[in-house]
Amino acid sequence: MTGSSSPPSPALTLPAPRARGGWRLPPAFGLATPATLFVLIALIGPLLLMFRYSLNRFVPGQMMVEALTLANYAKFFGDSFYQEVLGTTVWVSALSTLLCLVAGFPVAYFLVRQASPVWKGRLLLLVILPLLMGNAVRTAAWMVILGDKGLFNAVIGVIGISPVKLMYTPTAVVIGLVSVLLPFMIVTLQSVLEGIDANLESAAASLGAGHLTTLWRVVLPLALPGILAGTLLCFILSMNAYAPPVLIGGPSFHMMAPTVYQQVAKAMNWPFGAALAFVLMAVTLVLTTSANILVQRRYRRWSE
Amino acid sequence: MSEVVLQSIVKRYEAVPAVDNISLSIGEGELVALLGPSGCGKTTTLRMIGGFIPVTEGRILVGGRDVTHLPPNKRNMGFGFQNYALFPHMSVGENVAFGLQMRKVSRADIARRVKIALDRVKLAHLSDRLPKQLSGGQQQRVALARALVIEPDVLLLDEPLSNLDAQLRNEMKLEIRRIQQQLGITTIFVTHDQDEALSIADTVVLMRAGRIEQQGAPDDLFERPASHFAAEFMGVTNLLPGEVAGSDRFRLKGGDTILVPVAGRAGPHAFAIRPERLEIDGEASAANTLSAEVEIATYRGLVIDYRVKTPSGLCLTARRPSPAAGGPAPLPVGRPVRVSFAPEAGTLVPM
Amino acid sequence: MGLVSINRIYAAISAVVMAFVLLPLVAVVWVSFFSNRILSFPATGYTFDWYVRAWAQDSFRNGFITSVETALVAVVISLVLGVPASLALVRYRFPGRDAIQTLLLSPMVVPGIVGGAALFMAFIELEIILDMDISGSLPGLFIAHGLIALPWTIRLVTAALVGMSPSYEEAAQSLGAGRITTFFRVTLPIIKPGIVAAALFSFVISFIDLEKSIFLVGPGRTTLQIALVSYLEWNLDSTVAAVATVQILIIGVLLVASDRYAKLSRAF
Repeated sequence: MTGSSSPPSPALTLPAPRARGGWRLPPAFGLATPATLFVLIALIGPLLLMFRYSLNRFVPGQMMVEALTLANYAKFFGDSFYQEVLGTTVWVSALSTLLCLVAGFPVAYFLVRQASPVWKGRLLLLVILPLLMGNAVRTAAWMVILGDKGLFNAVIGVIGISPVKLMYTPTAVVIGLVSVLLPFMIVTLQSVLEGIDANLESAAASLGAGHLTTLWRVVLPLALPGILAGTLLCFILSMNAYAPPVLIGGPSFHMMAPTVYQQVAKAMNWPFGAALAFVLMAVTLVLTTSANILVQRRYRRWSE
Repeated sequence: MSEVVLQSIVKRYEAVPAVDNISLSIGEGELVALLGPSGCGKTTTLRMIGGFIPVTEGRILVGGRDVTHLPPNKRNMGFGFQNYALFPHMSVGENVAFGLQMRKVSRADIARRVKIALDRVKLAHLSDRLPKQLSGGQQQRVALARALVIEPDVLLLDEPLSNLDAQLRNEMKLEIRRIQQQLGITTIFVTHDQDEALSIADTVVLMRAGRIEQQGAPDDLFERPASHFAAEFMGVTNLLPGEVAGSDRFRLKGGDTILVPVAGRAGPHAFAIRPERLEIDGEASAANTLSAEVEIATYRGLVIDYRVKTPSGLCLTARRPSPAAGGPAPLPVGRPVRVSFAPEAGTLVPM
Repeated sequence: MGLVSINRIYAAISAVVMAFVLLPLVAVVWVSFFSNRILSFPATGYTFDWYVRAWAQDSFRNGFITSVETALVAVVISLVLGVPASLALVRYRFPGRDAIQTLLLSPMVVPGIVGGAALFMAFIELEIILDMDISGSLPGLFIAHGLIALPWTIRLVTAALVGMSPSYEEAAQSLGAGRITTFFRVTLPIIKPGIVAAALFSFVISFIDLEKSIFLVGPGRTTLQIALVSYLEWNLDSTVAAVATVQILIIGVLLVASDRYAKLSRAF
């Protein structure tokens, strides 16, 4: 966060005369309290409530019976169907994230090191625009492209290749996810590379390092924290993706987020839906923090 | 160690020339300073020699070899960056070792040569430190050691002293000169500070708007600036516009005529004279004497600068030792004075 | 490899990747003008009919109106809450500052579907207690979208505040302005570009949200994104493409507008 790096500022904090004797609440509390309360009430409270629900028992017809049981979590870990859903979610997310990293880095590098300032601005806007076109619209577009009679099959048909079944395959979901996440990756990597002094690369080159060596020995170690941030962002977003799996994965392709929706809104099994949501959050959290710790350990030595 | 030749180098950015047809020949073991204000193309020139910026036109030869289109990692040049560009994730030793690793030098040799290089800049004891744990001067030394350990053909330094405070700058200046002479390495040094350029370079190349304005030995540039720009950049504060009016006469804009060696020049020129060469209330027999009045006196420690104005409206700055340096008592503002100078105390420069 | 050839390689890869990123956008705009009754390639002709049809379709028209309404309210909520909070985070040191910062940015980290489900359950619980309709009501949607927009607003506004030297505020105070006067006469005008960018960006973020809204929409109170997804579950024709094209156009304009005020890439 940008805010954390600001120097302590004496502005607006001149002590009021009557503050001399007693202790007064700093004005910062007044400024930050409404937003804080809002987030507590609209996010943290409901999350706690949902966690409590996940310990309740589901009785068909009665919806939910108050209880303190881990049965819902046990159900998740006991049922191979749900484990498969989780497994699919994790590997699809990991693969999509990796593809984003591989495809996004050259673009970010091009933007930062080679594009002229004017072009950089334009290209960044072109990256951000699809990012903000919304999951629904983007997924619709991929349906248009990947469908049995879609653009892709029409194009390869012209060359004389017979149509390929792409809709409702994991490949299609990965393509859809990568197109959702790639802009995030590019923008994050761009800001990371922006922070690396170009002279360091020039220095490595003047000392005899070729381009790939420079990337590996100088750019990569310095960019690692930022690369991690971008990777984690993409991974989290893809773990929680809703529209691509539902619309281009088809009815027999299951990922976690649609399953949560299905349980909560359709099956009306709140306790189990709540448990699913928490498993999703926990898995995301565990995977991302462990990756974080792993990288932080290497990076701490010179970064502080 | 090699001589460097630039043949009609041009760098254009979308048709705008940043460096406009520079030709320069730098002898083996010579230290050349590229001097000029910001935006004059000196750093662009240096970076083209280093291979970081592609050359639009012209050739760069090092030791007779055409390096114009070689990438920087094939040029074998040591480069010192303005901000040192030490790799923040490597220790001092690792930074210095980097170039040797790239050259596939054996481990034992690397250790030995890193030690020698760090010894040369008196930093062997800090080999395990990270760059951010060093002072600015120490970082500068590491950067120098890193650039030199690869035994480059040429050493290129981009404003190496600009991030140091005044005292350290002086010290590093001498150190760079010492090491450069000890190794006999051809060195090109970019700076905007005329004092830096004068005190360590064999040759000073003054640049302006992508072109070479004047080049020569330091004393040559300092004492005989060839243009209005060169005179101004070399610290000549009195530049009096006027016109040549005879074989040894020059008419100043205000109407006064002074006696100066014209040397065959004609037309509009400026008479350039340093404040130190103007005498206040000197001998009445001097060739050129103007009467004036003290307008402002600026006390600067060892000297006092007097800004004086003649009845014709001419403003001049004259410098005298202050009492602290054994000079005469200060003159009050408003005091009428006589300003005099010998004809050869200044030079005429074209406008 | 020389400098130039390395540059070419990066340029070439970037071109391919950018084509991939922009392909859906281009495809959808193209398809929206097809005159084919059933979506197929190539086009048999071109027409504007689908735009007329899209507007005639209740779910899209109402969805669009609901989305605009919701996004506008979300912008107001996020600015009213977010600007003072940003001021507190940037200009003051106070105990728990880092914790509050993390908390305020957390709506960005908690998965949309999880936060949406939790809010949905909480609303139902409240409905039972208060005997009031909240889930599937507009206020419920407003709260959810305010929550989505808040962290982005805080990010952009704190970035603007960090870039503004506190000495302007000190100068105002030394000239006799009180805290509130200082804020409105000095701070606010200086960080205005950041606030405008935050407002525009919040609008977009709210407008395109799908995951968080999906639980909270009700009959007659559906956002455009949900309307699109429910339509897509059963149909795929150029009506959707027409809606998508209009949405891309609106967002494109807002994006270019907000980029004039503040570098949007800073928000990520």
